[in-house]
Amino acid sequence: MEYIKNLKDKLKDAFHFNSKKERTDAVVRGFFLLATVLSASFIIVIVFFIALEGMIPFVTDNDGLGRVDLVRFLTGTTWLEGTAFQSNLYAVGFIIVNTLYIAFLSLLLSMPIGVLTALFIAKIAPKRIAEVLRTVVELLAAIPSIVYGLFGSGLIIVFVYNFAKLFGVQSKGGNSVLATVLVLSLMILPTITALSEVAIRSVGKDIEHGSLALGATRTQTNFKVVLTSAKSGIFTAAILGVGRALGEATAVSLVAGNARSGPSLGFFQTTSTLTSTMLQGLKETIGIDYDIRFSVGIVLMIVILITNMTLNFIKRKVGNVDVK
Amino acid sequence: MKNNVFNIKNLDLFYGSFQALKDINLTIEKNKVTALIGPSGCGKSTFLRCLNRMNDLIDICKIDGEVEYHGDNVYEKGHDVINLRTKVGMVFQKPNPFPMTIYDNVAYGPRCQGLKDKSKLDEIVETSLKNAALWEEVKDRLKDSAMGLSGGQQQRLCIARAIAMEPEVILMDEPTSALDPIATLKIEELINDLKENYTIVIVTHSMQQAARISDYTAFFLMGDLIEFDQTDKIFTQPKFKQTEDYITGRFG
Repeated sequence: MEYIKNLKDKLKDAFHFNSKKERTDAVVRGFFLLATVLSASFIIVIVFFIALEGMIPFVTDNDGLGRVDLVRFLTGTTWLEGTAFQSNLYAVGFIIVNTLYIAFLSLLLSMPIGVLTALFIAKIAPKRIAEVLRTVVELLAAIPSIVYGLFGSGLIIVFVYNFAKLFGVQSKGGNSVLATVLVLSLMILPTITALSEVAIRSVGKDIEHGSLALGATRTQTNFKVVLTSAKSGIFTAAILGVGRALGEATAVSLVAGNARSGPSLGFFQTTSTLTSTMLQGLKETIGIDYDIRFSVGIVLMIVILITNMTLNFIKRKVGNVDVK
Repeated sequence: MKNNVFNIKNLDLFYGSFQALKDINLTIEKNKVTALIGPSGCGKSTFLRCLNRMNDLIDICKIDGEVEYHGDNVYEKGHDVINLRTKVGMVFQKPNPFPMTIYDNVAYGPRCQGLKDKSKLDEIVETSLKNAALWEEVKDRLKDSAMGLSGGQQQRLCIARAIAMEPEVILMDEPTSALDPIATLKIEELINDLKENYTIVIVTHSMQQAARISDYTAFFLMGDLIEFDQTDKIFTQPKFKQTEDYITGRFG
């Protein structure tokens, strides 16, 4: 009884406010906490749900087909041996390689273009032109991925198809690594440009003037001092770009060609990514063939996590000069 | 007159429609320290920035008159600004080291001029840091970031960076205003040493500093050059009432 009385007192204290303002403060604080708990719990719910579904192929016998072997799943080079619904021989090893390979190539292509564009907008272009360009970049970032996908399957794959023919290579209608990389580069370009531009613009004028006063040219100043100072922000742009490249599904599905084995390293080979594999036929299947897509989801989340951690580690290593 | 490095004739400077400098005539003598003093907004920093054409970076800035550097008007059409800035170095109000290593900061200028020879760069870095009285403090951590240095050290690094170009003139824009008294003292001692090899023009808010370190002093007020003379004359027997008011603290 004593304990309950104590608790009552404590509760009373907790809800006792010295003024109306203090109470309002507490209520508002409560709302903030509620919002935070809500958004944080969504992440937990999503991860938990995907994990739960994705575990099924590995822990149940999948209606008599037998468990999926985890090691084989993570290292194999063919998505499905046998037919769907009659096999437990799924593997994503080659798809992981494909995904990273494509993200890396896309970054390799859009990084220099994006950073140079950002440099031009932030430092070289006259104010009015810079304003226009900034709007253009924002618009590009706002185009839905399906539109990029349509553009890719309507135009880019035709271009790739003809390009491949030049080399005497018969590509699968242009659906290929190259087409995927081109579409993805286009998609992450605005992200990289916009973020790099902010990073470059925030480099102090004093540093720039310091360089110019030493008799450095504008170009030398931009490349040796401005870009160096914005390094950390540009790296963040790259990290977000890679994130988008790894996570993009719709547009990739339309131009990748959905290769079922691999890895596909040749530019004109068809390919598949973790996302496109998940998306492919998701609504037309049941049983293990459905559940396994959630397993791919887990793999994707882990791949993104590891990539992000690695890039952040490199960012700290490379950017340590900025630390004060 | 051959001992004059700069010869400024009838210099007018406008920011848009605002006239920041009015008909300035001044000479800067070789291997002397010339101090520019005056209240905030009097045009002393603006004047300093005319000498290495840093005002070019301000769009609305317009200049009339002549700034002769060894007889050549630096504002003449086609004058090589890059070359001018390698000969006329500058140290800013706020220490502004580049976010790179100490070594790379000092080697930056020479590298921009195309110098790649490692042993030559090493030599330049060492002499510059020694001349800037910073060598002893940083010789074991040349590969560390310059951002880790204290404010006073950063400012001496910026001086070393300017010296590395082997300029003839060093312009200093209130180089000690962001520093504590001890760091300020070090910079002032350094300026005294540097006088032997360099011509120094320094903008300062502190009249004591001008009195301590300079040979000549120019007093600016509202865009006018009120008085220019040897420092001891300015501080002991100023010709104009405004100068006297300012140096005795009765101004404003």
